[in-house]
Amino acid sequence: MLEGGKISSGQAVFLNITMIIATAMLAVPAIAAVHARQDAWLSMLLATLLALPIAWVTASLGTLFPGKTLVEYTEDILGKWPGKLLGLLYLLWFIHICSIMIREYGNFLIDVFMPETPLIVINILGAALAAYTVKNGLEVLARVNQIFLPIILISVILIFLLALPEMKLERFLPVFEAETVKIFKGAIVPWGWMGEIITFAMLIPFLAQPGQTRHTAVITIPLVGLFFTLLAVASVAVFGPVFSNMNFPVLNAARVINIANFIDRPEPIIMAIWIIGGLLKISIFYYVSVLGFAQWLNLKDYRPLVLPVGVILIALSIAVAENMLELTHFLGNVSPYELLTFELVIPLTLLLIALVRRQGGNRQ
Amino acid sequence: MVLLMILAFLGIIGLEVPGLVRKKMWRELTAFAALLVIGMALSIPQTLGMTIPNPNTYIEILFKPMVEWLKK
Repeated sequence: MLEGGKISSGQAVFLNITMIIATAMLAVPAIAAVHARQDAWLSMLLATLLALPIAWVTASLGTLFPGKTLVEYTEDILGKWPGKLLGLLYLLWFIHICSIMIREYGNFLIDVFMPETPLIVINILGAALAAYTVKNGLEVLARVNQIFLPIILISVILIFLLALPEMKLERFLPVFEAETVKIFKGAIVPWGWMGEIITFAMLIPFLAQPGQTRHTAVITIPLVGLFFTLLAVASVAVFGPVFSNMNFPVLNAARVINIANFIDRPEPIIMAIWIIGGLLKISIFYYVSVLGFAQWLNLKDYRPLVLPVGVILIALSIAVAENMLELTHFLGNVSPYELLTFELVIPLTLLLIALVRRQGGNRQ
Repeated sequence: MVLLMILAFLGIIGLEVPGLVRKKMWRELTAFAALLVIGMALSIPQTLGMTIPNPNTYIEILFKPMVEWLKK
């Protein structure tokens, strides 16, 4: 076993939640609102329902092949070479989405808070910190996450409690104005984001209580869905449908806060949760890529690969887009298809093949 | 810039290689070298001002009809 550490089920749920919400929370309501307008919150609910099967498939594959990660059991299911090839595709996908996360992380900070700083500086700093976390192993990552995730969640909720005086319920009207297709279009991106739960397939072997795998995976989605729905509800209540034009409605909600001229524009809270949350999310995907590579090549240790993979991530994070507009176009229109291919289409096919060919040891 | 990058790469090699050689982990060393070469190939052209192929462009071409549908 490459990773000696074990994580508890609670820590796993926390990791799963961070894995999905950290970089999504600031932008996701606006992306849904582009199509669904003031019905964006319905899109979030729909996305939650659609994402549940992904969590179920992830957990089923994990329980069919206990002690193995996604890149390992593709070989068991498809045979040696096709399995290796699919494993490599998954690794490239992890590296790709991780580099996009680093780009989002850096681009948000330079766009909103530090316009004079070159993008590459923040990307290198972020990736270096993540590399340090990854080198320390999964247990450290899980514990850091356990400390910071509650702070992140409480801060976001606090922002919206402070914004309560700005909220108006009539901004939800007319409800169901968007057609079903529009609501579905608005749900695609959050669906793809919630489907990142498939990454949990790389962490299942390190659970201290393997019996709770299914429980751990499936509970995550309603929690995240509830959080996304709250974000959408709050964004609509503060801004009405116009917030579809904003890049980061949660940040803008913080900007309108003014309580008795005393608590005014608490944006640094947003900056803090973005820095912590983004870093944790990058660390999780970085860890998964490095661990996957080590398993794919049958190495004894994954640590030597951390820095070279970091170089690749930083180089790609600059190359994936020219500017924020291009990145937003990719995230809003292209990425859901790439994400859902790797999250739903391939895993579901794998599960069906495994069930039909009666593979895997641990069937219930 | 390029000099700084080469320094950074030397730093990475200096951090990892001695330990791997001491523990005789040749397989790990090969993987490390291969990934680092890929990393160099992706990063050095960019510091020299060249553009490297953007994976997102190809993914967009792959899903073209569905992307157009979502944009509407």
